[in-house]
Amino acid sequence: MLYLTLASKAYARNLQFRGAHLFHNIASAAFGFLYASLWIGLGQDHSLGEYGVQGMVAYIAFNQAALWITTFTSNGLGIPQSVRTGQISLDLMRPVHLFSHLMAREWGQLAYQFVYKSLPIFTLYFFLFHLELPRTLSSVLSCLLGLLGASYMSICINYLIGVTALWTTESNWLYWGNYSLSNLLSGFFVPLEWLPDWLARLAWLSPYPYLLYVPSRLFLGLGAGSLLWGTLFWCLLLTILCLSVTRLLRQKVEVQGG
Amino acid sequence: MRSESWLSIYKLLILTTLRSRMQYKFNFVFGSLMAAIVQINEFLMVAIVLYKFGEIKGWSLYEIGYLYAVLTLARTLYRTFGDEVHHLEKYLVSGDLDGVLIRPLPVLLALMPQGFRLMIGEVLQGGFVLVWAFIGLLRSGQIDWTAIPLTLFIIVTGAGILFAIGLATATMGFWTTRISELQNLTEDAARAAAQYPLTLYPKWLSGLLLTVIPVGLVNYIPSLYILRGELGLWAVGLTGLGAVFFLLLSLWFWRFGLTKYQSTGS
Repeated sequence: MLYLTLASKAYARNLQFRGAHLFHNIASAAFGFLYASLWIGLGQDHSLGEYGVQGMVAYIAFNQAALWITTFTSNGLGIPQSVRTGQISLDLMRPVHLFSHLMAREWGQLAYQFVYKSLPIFTLYFFLFHLELPRTLSSVLSCLLGLLGASYMSICINYLIGVTALWTTESNWLYWGNYSLSNLLSGFFVPLEWLPDWLARLAWLSPYPYLLYVPSRLFLGLGAGSLLWGTLFWCLLLTILCLSVTRLLRQKVEVQGG
Repeated sequence: MRSESWLSIYKLLILTTLRSRMQYKFNFVFGSLMAAIVQINEFLMVAIVLYKFGEIKGWSLYEIGYLYAVLTLARTLYRTFGDEVHHLEKYLVSGDLDGVLIRPLPVLLALMPQGFRLMIGEVLQGGFVLVWAFIGLLRSGQIDWTAIPLTLFIIVTGAGILFAIGLATATMGFWTTRISELQNLTEDAARAAAQYPLTLYPKWLSGLLLTVIPVGLVNYIPSLYILRGELGLWAVGLTGLGAVFFLLLSLWFWRFGLTKYQSTGS
């Protein structure tokens, strides 16, 4: 119940700005449109493999909408600011585990982004690019599960980034480093099978392909549901990492009397 | 005040900013390293598309590398000096612009040195790609040594154009306060588009990228002459004229915008 309240408060806090956010979606949608135009242009002279031009447009459109729940997670879940202000010491005193507390808040944020960012952008592309929806219930379910897992992984990754703020003066660069690696290795713009072999292998050793590539393959009906085992594996591994790191963090925290 | 005095104040303010940055040495080194990784990843995205498709609309790997490097270096030059203009939103939201306005300096002169930053990662990455593209193009005989001064010229004028786009976007903040989403469109999306030849896009979009958000003038138009001998030397001149025109236009807009500034009262 507590976690639900935390999530709903985070959701409600954003509602104040929903008009502005809906307007802001234009910028995000334009970005996706640009990438789609690029692939349409490339498709005029080249075959785009099993995707085809329409498939690549759908791939890009889905990814651009999904970004808001799988990649645009709050920078370090807000931990860096808490460290700077000293709030982190109060957060650690609460009778709730820091990880689950921040995670609940972030789920509210992501739920908001899903409703006011992902859905409107996807709806716009749906009409603009004449997208096709998955035909079977199992594809819909597996795609949704893939997205849910991706959001959870993104929360964990940002928690780990946030926690580094206790050891460094600046975790902002890690956030951008992660974002940039995710752009390259999650198949956001180029599907993973088109990466050079060494890079594709490297990508599959990381959680990044499960953030966007796997959900979008499931959406297009090109991926098997068994891909979700990978999502589950990374969710578990990242959870263990987050919990272990929280133990270390409890010993590290310094209150500077600010 | 004489222009030499303005220049010495500017130099002094930059040195002060640099000294304060160097207080956090680990942060500086780590930040530069991560910036290099971000830049390499960004170029890899372009390179992978080329690796997969060979050439794009008749543009080779070296030519697209050149487009990318010119854009990166022009942007680096703009952001080295004009980063604080890009970050105007924080001044508008917090009301900190009030403090800048009461200084006995033009607002831009007070603002810009505060955001001065050495972008070593970006210079190294952009420089490396440029040298690599140059060597490839020189070896194949596609360009000769005259391309070097022309390239340096378009990097500088390109920085002017990107600064003008950034300043005009920031000025919109005097009406809207929040500008990051608009910057996402005029600076980030436009730059991502100009990494590839503009012929890839529908005509209305490439037209937009040459006029309203003239990022195509930074690299694409002059490259048509420098790399391919098309259009004529006037294409490079057009970049210079474009830089002057858009800079004057954005400065006029900035001054007009300043008169509409309303403090948040924070």
